[in-house]
Amino acid sequence: MTPEYFRWAERLFDLTGAALKPEALAGIRVLDLSVIILGPATADFLGELGAEVIKIEMPGHGDVTRILGDRSFFWKNVGVAFFGMNHSKYHVGLDMHAPAGQEVIRKLTARSDIVVENFKAGTLEEKFGLGYRQLREVNPRLIYVANTGFGQWGPFSRGRASYDGLAQSVSGLTAITGDGEIPTRSGNYIGDWFGACLSALGALAALHWRERTGEGQFVEMAQCEGLVRAMDWTWLYAGLTGRDRPKTGNRDPVFPTSGVFRCADGYVALVAGTDAEFRALCRLLGRPGLTKDRRFSSAAARRAPASAGALDRLIADWCAGKSRAEIERRARAARVAAAPVMTAKDHYESAHFRARRSVWEHEDPVYGPMVEYGPAPKLSATPARIKWAGKPVGFHNEFVLKKVLGLGDDEILDLERAGVIGKWADRLGAKPPDDWPARAFIQ
Amino acid sequence: MPSSSSSDWSDWIRREEDPARVSEKPEALDDLVVLDLSHAHYGALLASTYLAELGAEVVKVEPPEGDPARSWGPPDVALRGEGLAFAAEARNRYHITLNLTSRAGRSLLRGLAARADVLVEGFRPGYLDSLGLGYRQLARLNPRLIWVACSAYGQFGPQAANQPAEYDLTDQALSGLLHISGDPEAAPTRLGSWITSYAQAAWAAMAVLAALHWRRRSGRGQMIDVSGAEAVMRYLEYSVLLYHTAKQVRGRTGLYERAVFPYTFVRVKDGFGFIAGYTDQNFGAICRIMGRPELARDPRFDSTLQRTRPENEVLLRDEIEKWSVNYTADEILDKVLADRGPGVVVFGPLNSPTRTLGEAHWWERGCFRRIADPLYGEMLVSMPVWRMTRTPPRLKWPCRPRGYHNGHVYGARLGVGPGRLDELRNKGVL
Repeated sequence: MTPEYFRWAERLFDLTGAALKPEALAGIRVLDLSVIILGPATADFLGELGAEVIKIEMPGHGDVTRILGDRSFFWKNVGVAFFGMNHSKYHVGLDMHAPAGQEVIRKLTARSDIVVENFKAGTLEEKFGLGYRQLREVNPRLIYVANTGFGQWGPFSRGRASYDGLAQSVSGLTAITGDGEIPTRSGNYIGDWFGACLSALGALAALHWRERTGEGQFVEMAQCEGLVRAMDWTWLYAGLTGRDRPKTGNRDPVFPTSGVFRCADGYVALVAGTDAEFRALCRLLGRPGLTKDRRFSSAAARRAPASAGALDRLIADWCAGKSRAEIERRARAARVAAAPVMTAKDHYESAHFRARRSVWEHEDPVYGPMVEYGPAPKLSATPARIKWAGKPVGFHNEFVLKKVLGLGDDEILDLERAGVIGKWADRLGAKPPDDWPARAFIQ
Repeated sequence: MPSSSSSDWSDWIRREEDPARVSEKPEALDDLVVLDLSHAHYGALLASTYLAELGAEVVKVEPPEGDPARSWGPPDVALRGEGLAFAAEARNRYHITLNLTSRAGRSLLRGLAARADVLVEGFRPGYLDSLGLGYRQLARLNPRLIWVACSAYGQFGPQAANQPAEYDLTDQALSGLLHISGDPEAAPTRLGSWITSYAQAAWAAMAVLAALHWRRRSGRGQMIDVSGAEAVMRYLEYSVLLYHTAKQVRGRTGLYERAVFPYTFVRVKDGFGFIAGYTDQNFGAICRIMGRPELARDPRFDSTLQRTRPENEVLLRDEIEKWSVNYTADEILDKVLADRGPGVVVFGPLNSPTRTLGEAHWWERGCFRRIADPLYGEMLVSMPVWRMTRTPPRLKWPCRPRGYHNGHVYGARLGVGPGRLDELRNKGVL
């Protein structure tokens, strides 16, 4: 590949002036009625692409993710787990149990394009009168996105709540992970985040349809089904054989020359998926003759347990004592896929991921300098972005009620006195940093 | 406020989403043409699959010998020659062959791209550009083209040039997922499916639809760069922020989730189950169901701050397991469902895939289907994930052999007749 291509790509995707470039979803308003991760991340991803997101929380405490984790998670009066799915949102503290609060939601819905919720199936209709059938009355073009664990209907849909860990467990994903008896859950909440990605994708497909026809619709995504749908050949295999696919630990069952290997300063993952990559690997290991060894001379031969085990030992011996950086560099020169098992510190210090703003540094008006994971997809003309960090409960009450609903100060005060809207309680998670700059507040 | 509608909603939405009546409804993206140039690349293949499920016309372009991904699958079973990984995810496409290294092949691709809305590819960055078929060349023919490039390190940045082929395992490593998955005393544990490819595909398809929205306003296409490593890195929650705020490096914690607890696997009489209830109220419900209400008031466990202290997590999981081993997963689920609150407990069995397949719920919802394909025979497939009341996604056909639709696609899209097709085939262009 020519260096010229990469110079061109650097210019095309240049992020230095990204804030001044247009946003893909500018003009789309998302009303986020959800808590924890699955729903908030759905709205967040749309927000990264340029939608305006209004997040509704209970006055006082707000979203429970504000107070997760032990003491070490807390920073400037809030748990750090709150920020990853709450970027660039307008925070409104509003009690949906109050009829006047429901009226505000209806008015906001009338001026929104997408509503996102992750209550148990039927809850918003039955407890709040704010289900799809009610809200489409005030906005026939509405796209209503409902996230649940098990779906809106079906035997498991009633009474069963779900979290990501449950989705990993009941989908079968945990059962095909690792190799020991003790189950291994994905270290992150993979079913929430991946489910949110699917959910945002479904919302945008519905938006495409709406732009063609003017019709809104109800879109649902069930977290367990999201993971079921992400298990590649598991189901086809079970259908053909009647068996579960075997657990193969860190060896990818499709590419048998693969694994995770210990080295001097951590671990590396390595895959030689083709014959050409296997030949390159043998050169890298300093054992070019291995390609002629009958145990390794074909992909089928390398798959035999004795061959695969022997290769594992050769690779492990070669990695031992070398640093991750050296292995990555030498593997790359040899055209072998090897990658360091990266830590948060590695991400933080990575020139590559910083340059791509996948590690995104920004200065928030309330929290000051922050480093978070930035938007994953890079769009050349309409770069996705983080504009500000999550805010205390009710931080934007006045701004939203004035700008979106056109209320006056007196009407807002009435809602506040009636307890329909409210800001943060004086407690960890909900309130601003002790020394927060009041000038950051938008009236 | 309606109060008697508890069954109304589920009955109504079930009718609106009825899997048996999907084909009576229109498709959200059926005005779009997508060129799928995925080559030995699962993420790019899947991105096209999502768009195809939602209604786009997807043309998969393969070299005359076929996409190497056709051989991907478990070693012991294949489906009429196709690897199961490919057969599971190559749905709803028109399959054509085309040799991009030939001059005539490049010219045909330009013809296809001139009238496509979206092009998806997963070649090494710069490869198509070096053939004169990169975004900058094709966008000159079609400025409305939206181009998605999938790779491990992306198209720009200090490590973009000369990057190796993209694999799920190496993406799991770069993303940081591996480092935080598994037991702290052991090596990191790979998540069992090609999750980074699915994540990359979801981001890619999402970004395509956002770019289409913008194209409608601006008239302009653009290029989208999606790294499979970054696709999952974005899912790592607070990892990099916790390093920023506290210089803490998030590590593996196995059964002991750090942000919330209880949120873990416990032994049950017939295997393992997953149990969670981490807010004060929900933890209270776990204690009540276990018949141990005093645990909720125990100073070691009476707040989220206390329950997530590493030493308390171990003690608490032991307490739960002392109880859970006496019951089967189904018995515990019955107890959980019988509890009337306050609070909600999340519980379920650790299912093997075949046990999941034994549960009626998924089949009723149309999550799985057994189909009899005229070419590939009996297949058990997982169905599109979204339920949409107006434009439901669907599975139309599972997979087709390479070049299966050459006659149709080249004829309908480029006006190439059967005689010319034979000629091109003989020259090795198709």
